[in-house]
Amino acid sequence: MFGLFDKKYHNPELLETIRQTQDRWFDFLDKLETRMHEMCMAAVPEIREVFNQDTDLYKRAHGHMLMGLRGQIDQMRHKANKTKEENIFYFIDCATAELPDFISSAGREYHNKLHTFRMDCINRHYIFEEKIAHYTSLLNNAAGEQDLEAIYQEQLTAFENIRDKFVCKQCGGNMTIPQIFFIATYITCPFCQTQNTFIPSTGAQMVLHQARCLAEQRTAHLLKIYEETKPKNHHLYQQYLRSMFDEWNKIVPDMAEENEKFHQRLLQDHSNSINHY
Amino acid sequence: MGENEEKRTLTYLERLKQKAITQENYGGEIKEEEAKMEVHDCPECGAGRAFRQGLTACAYCGFKFMDIRLTDGVHIKKENNS
Repeated sequence: MFGLFDKKYHNPELLETIRQTQDRWFDFLDKLETRMHEMCMAAVPEIREVFNQDTDLYKRAHGHMLMGLRGQIDQMRHKANKTKEENIFYFIDCATAELPDFISSAGREYHNKLHTFRMDCINRHYIFEEKIAHYTSLLNNAAGEQDLEAIYQEQLTAFENIRDKFVCKQCGGNMTIPQIFFIATYITCPFCQTQNTFIPSTGAQMVLHQARCLAEQRTAHLLKIYEETKPKNHHLYQQYLRSMFDEWNKIVPDMAEENEKFHQRLLQDHSNSINHY
Repeated sequence: MGENEEKRTLTYLERLKQKAITQENYGGEIKEEEAKMEVHDCPECGAGRAFRQGLTACAYCGFKFMDIRLTDGVHIKKENNS
């Protein structure tokens, strides 16, 4: 009973297989990491070049390239996960089934060895996952930040230059655009009351699209302060969000009502999330 | 790192870059346009579109510009229904 008086269990073959499997697993991840490193290091300048040359308003060529590279990294992650399941965990399960009982003194030593082996493999995989996170953010940030403030100021100046230059299409009377608009709007002719449709330039329309990013750029220092606190301070996040939305609303006042709803939603999401450590 | 390995990484990147640059975007290229003013005349009486209890019908002859009911948007409001 319980195998308390069994002879000591010896299986040098199993020990050798464990050692070889672990070596192969470490080598495999080493190779993947080297490949990832080479690819990302070569890719960073290329991403920057594509971003700078990309004339598309939404920088879609850059987006395609980034997606392709991230897909490659995902393939590596997938390969590692598959190998872990098929060659490490499956092997451990098979080996465990053939060992004497865990509660017998004969079996315990080998169970412990398998446990150590499992933990070593998992820890090595954890390091691999951290490298994936590192290289992914390296790729994401490779293009650097666009100077959205300059683009925005450019649009404001452009608008000031054209705001008095329009005439009513119906009667030819001079019209002044009351404020900067980012989407098409009706402007009433002061002379004949005709509703003219004012369609802003493509650049002005893009301000609406970039407003949030610009507001985030303006308040990035507040987010940094929040992110550096440990444990994370909920009030600092609220402060950051408030000033980010204030900036956002300043850029596109027409959207303030909608933005406020989104603000409430983000606050709620944050208080419901568990990542406050 | 072997020479072949380096070659493979480079050619993959080159191909990816080429593809990213030459790929056509859904909906075609976006043309940059200047700000402009447009006006919608009434096809029935030729009058300009003026506000009279709303914008969906001609203020002069009553021609219906659109059949839908407007809802509140950023600049267009419910009050713009004739």
